[in-house]
Amino acid sequence: MNRRYRPLAPGLVARLTLDTDPWLSCDDCFRLVDQYVEELLEAPAGAAPDAPAMLAHLRGCPACADETTTLLLLAAEDRGLDPGVAVARLRERS
Amino acid sequence: MTAVGSACMGTSAAVAEDWVRALSVPGPLQDEAMSLLHDLMLRAARRQVLRMTPMLGGVGLDVVDEIAHQSANDAMMAVLAKLGSFEGRSRFTTWAYKFAVLQAATDVRRRVWRERAVDVDRLELVPDGGATSEQYAEAVDLASAVRHAINTVLSQHQRRILLALVVEEVPVDVLADRLGATRNALYKTLHDARKRLRAHLRETGHLADLTSQAGTP
Repeated sequence: MNRRYRPLAPGLVARLTLDTDPWLSCDDCFRLVDQYVEELLEAPAGAAPDAPAMLAHLRGCPACADETTTLLLLAAEDRGLDPGVAVARLRERS
Repeated sequence: MTAVGSACMGTSAAVAEDWVRALSVPGPLQDEAMSLLHDLMLRAARRQVLRMTPMLGGVGLDVVDEIAHQSANDAMMAVLAKLGSFEGRSRFTTWAYKFAVLQAATDVRRRVWRERAVDVDRLELVPDGGATSEQYAEAVDLASAVRHAINTVLSQHQRRILLALVVEEVPVDVLADRLGATRNALYKTLHDARKRLRAHLRETGHLADLTSQAGTP
């Protein structure tokens, strides 16, 4: 059987061993994400919602993180806010 | 933040005042609400598909629109089915968008992966310190410890899920489809696998190395 080899470099090591506590499921992320992005948009500059489980989940789940970014863009546009600022705010938190 | 546009374009005041009621009570207002909801779903789905077009490999706008329309239609059904669960913790529009975003993202990922095999059983990880790492020896030692832990500490199921999701970067919903599992269950397996690896590396004294290298590209 032919083996396939992948380099285990520092970036991959970090992703394999990522600390994703406190636990939050994908279902709960989906349930809470609309409220989370609105709190993120409405928080004063330099502040952000206290949501460690959501942040841990978004660090560990690329699919949920990508969908959250799109939701943030849409909600920002609805408020007439600069989407780039909104996304930067999300990334600096996760 | 800087204001760059108007809020909630095109939503009639009567519908926006109470989306749930407008969508629930038969009559002309319901018809308008349905039409507006579909517009919202389409906008959200299109936005998600457009963000993912690099994964689709240079498809045209016709394909983007085809996926977005199908996703919007499916998402609209999901929103209507879940209408009773809307609690008003966010704007209705933000709550509704998330169904279209999820549906579109899932549809794109399925499309991208439909011809691709997932095979982690022949996968072998080779410790690599990183070409530009200043602490090459330590990085190789840590990578060796992680590889050993993956092969000895994790269950076969945890190992396969971890390798598929993190090393092969198979999207979690695609893998769930292939395995007849749920996104939730696979993410829980991934979470537990990472936790077990960290616990083992803490016991072997490698966790400090791990912390110092966190975020290394």
